[in-house]
Amino acid sequence: MVRLLNFAFIAITSLVCLGVYRVAEEARVAQADLAATQTAIVRESDALAVLGAEWARLTQPARIEALTQRHLDLTDKPSVELSSLSQLPAKNLPTPQDSIRNANEVVPQAASPLAPKSQPEQTPTASFALFHTGT
Amino acid sequence: MAAFFCATMFSLIAVRLVDVMVLGGGSGRGGYAVAAAHPMRADLVDRNGALIARDLPVSDLYAMPANFWDTDEAARDLAKVTGADETHLKEAFAAKRGYILVQHGLTPDKRDAVVRLGLPGLTFESGYKRYYPSGRIVSHAVGQVDTDDHGVSGLELGLENRVRAPDAGPIQLSLDMRIQYVLEHEIEAASHAFRTKAAGGIVLNVHTGEVLALASLPDYEPNLRRLDTGDSIRNRMTQDVYELGSIFKIFAFTQAIEDNTIRLDEPFEVGKPYRLGRYYIHDFERLGPTLSAAMVFAESSNIGTAQIELRSGPTKQKPFLRKLGLLDPLRTELPEVASPLYPRHWEEIESATIAYGHGISVNPLAFAAAAASVVNGGTMVRPTFLKHGEIQHGERIISEETSRTMRKLMRLVVTDGTGTKADVPGYDVGGKTGTAEKAENGSYAHHLLISSFCGVFPIDDPQYLVFVLLDEPHGNKQTGGFATGGATAAPAVGRVIARIAPLLGVKRIDPDTDGISATLAAANP
Repeated sequence: MVRLLNFAFIAITSLVCLGVYRVAEEARVAQADLAATQTAIVRESDALAVLGAEWARLTQPARIEALTQRHLDLTDKPSVELSSLSQLPAKNLPTPQDSIRNANEVVPQAASPLAPKSQPEQTPTASFALFHTGT
Repeated sequence: MAAFFCATMFSLIAVRLVDVMVLGGGSGRGGYAVAAAHPMRADLVDRNGALIARDLPVSDLYAMPANFWDTDEAARDLAKVTGADETHLKEAFAAKRGYILVQHGLTPDKRDAVVRLGLPGLTFESGYKRYYPSGRIVSHAVGQVDTDDHGVSGLELGLENRVRAPDAGPIQLSLDMRIQYVLEHEIEAASHAFRTKAAGGIVLNVHTGEVLALASLPDYEPNLRRLDTGDSIRNRMTQDVYELGSIFKIFAFTQAIEDNTIRLDEPFEVGKPYRLGRYYIHDFERLGPTLSAAMVFAESSNIGTAQIELRSGPTKQKPFLRKLGLLDPLRTELPEVASPLYPRHWEEIESATIAYGHGISVNPLAFAAAAASVVNGGTMVRPTFLKHGEIQHGERIISEETSRTMRKLMRLVVTDGTGTKADVPGYDVGGKTGTAEKAENGSYAHHLLISSFCGVFPIDDPQYLVFVLLDEPHGNKQTGGFATGGATAAPAVGRVIARIAPLLGVKRIDPDTDGISATLAAANP
């Protein structure tokens, strides 16, 4: 009976040893895979970093402008041509001729731009320019 | 006996199982540690996320010449692939002993090319090297690092702790690379047109204090870590102080309006030099027998400004300039900031000359911050190079009413004064010109000028300030030979504003609205 038990224990011990060895081996292989994957991740991260820097270099404004000038037939539109729909005049309305309204397009004469719209006959104190006798 | 043996074995196995499965024993012992190097510095990106600086993987290549069959052939091949000096390698390999550094900072493609040579006795040491995709364009603001990846100048040094913090994500700067490019481009064009010694510019958000662009010429290529002919690492916008000239009249008038010492329609005699003790104050040109206070500002009369300043006097002027931050070192993320220079004895004559920007030297960024504080409604802004997007509710410097009046005066400079060339239709630019003579051998040299323009737009509700400075410009045919701020720097500011306003989403002002009229109604103080 004792002998039988001994054989049984030895058999079980051998099986457990094999099991533990297998687990350890699987862990070792998994660890190797993990290390390889981590290395690959680092390599990919480095590649992404390099590509990101390359993208930043290729898309910098100076290069885009040079390419645009070389390959596209674009002109540099003055900013005054940029507007919004709400700023477009209604149809069939006469264009305002008031000098104040146009003050920003044409540098005005010394006195005229500073006089208020509603009081064109304002006394000299109404305008800085009226006191400017130097030009 | 056998039972004891089995029990012992089982105990050992159980202990090992607990160790492996519960305590995690075994992992890391004799395992596969990844010896990958990590970037030491975080990325720097602009306010829109565009990359400004990044650590890129590189390798240092070492060789053991004792392993080479033919040292001359190895030196030739390595020099060809890596760019190292062939003669130097041949001499180093001839000794056939020890480790020889072949080349620092090999990029991955060059490293692969070296591997393909199949030479024995080569060792790569992985590391990282800082790379700046935009090169020169942003060199002065961002600065650079040394070979050990430590910041040595600019924001690389100023933000050193943040950049090297463990697990630091990308650091978002206030700079906008589009605006930076436009500013650099226009300043370079102006510098070339007027054959300047140096030049610089700043674009600043007047409410948040964020610096959107800062350019200084001559500049340098930060990736090369060397200075070629004509390059300079000196940041003229913070590292140098200048007597800025008439542009300083902004502060003289701000103080006068705040102190209520003048009426804007009050006439001042400017027909002849103004005598102050044994000194005479002159104007650049004769501006007439009298000018209104407003036109003294618009036409930039030194004589008129001196008279206006003396109503406040030195006892009020000095604390006011200190409140604006012009008498103390500027605090910002950039480490290279020069302290202002001003007279120890601040009497009437000093007060008069400081009113028109002579006798006091400040760095341009400090000036821009002070000017922004004047036009933004009257609260102090501190310039910053980090994006935050929030309005700075700084100390109130002047009243909102004074700020509004100053904006009207600055608009007058552009419509009727010395800064007409800065106007941009649709964006209502306001500003002030500055033309200062440089000191040379103890006196002012008439032919050596510092010409500048400080523009603000849109003037009704200012959002951005654009400052351009030209050091020793020379007049040309287009300017009739004049090298003044109005002739040289003002048009550059106008061009910058015309290009950046749409990028910044600043709405064009409809000529039908009251905006322009309201501005021009500065005539009714």
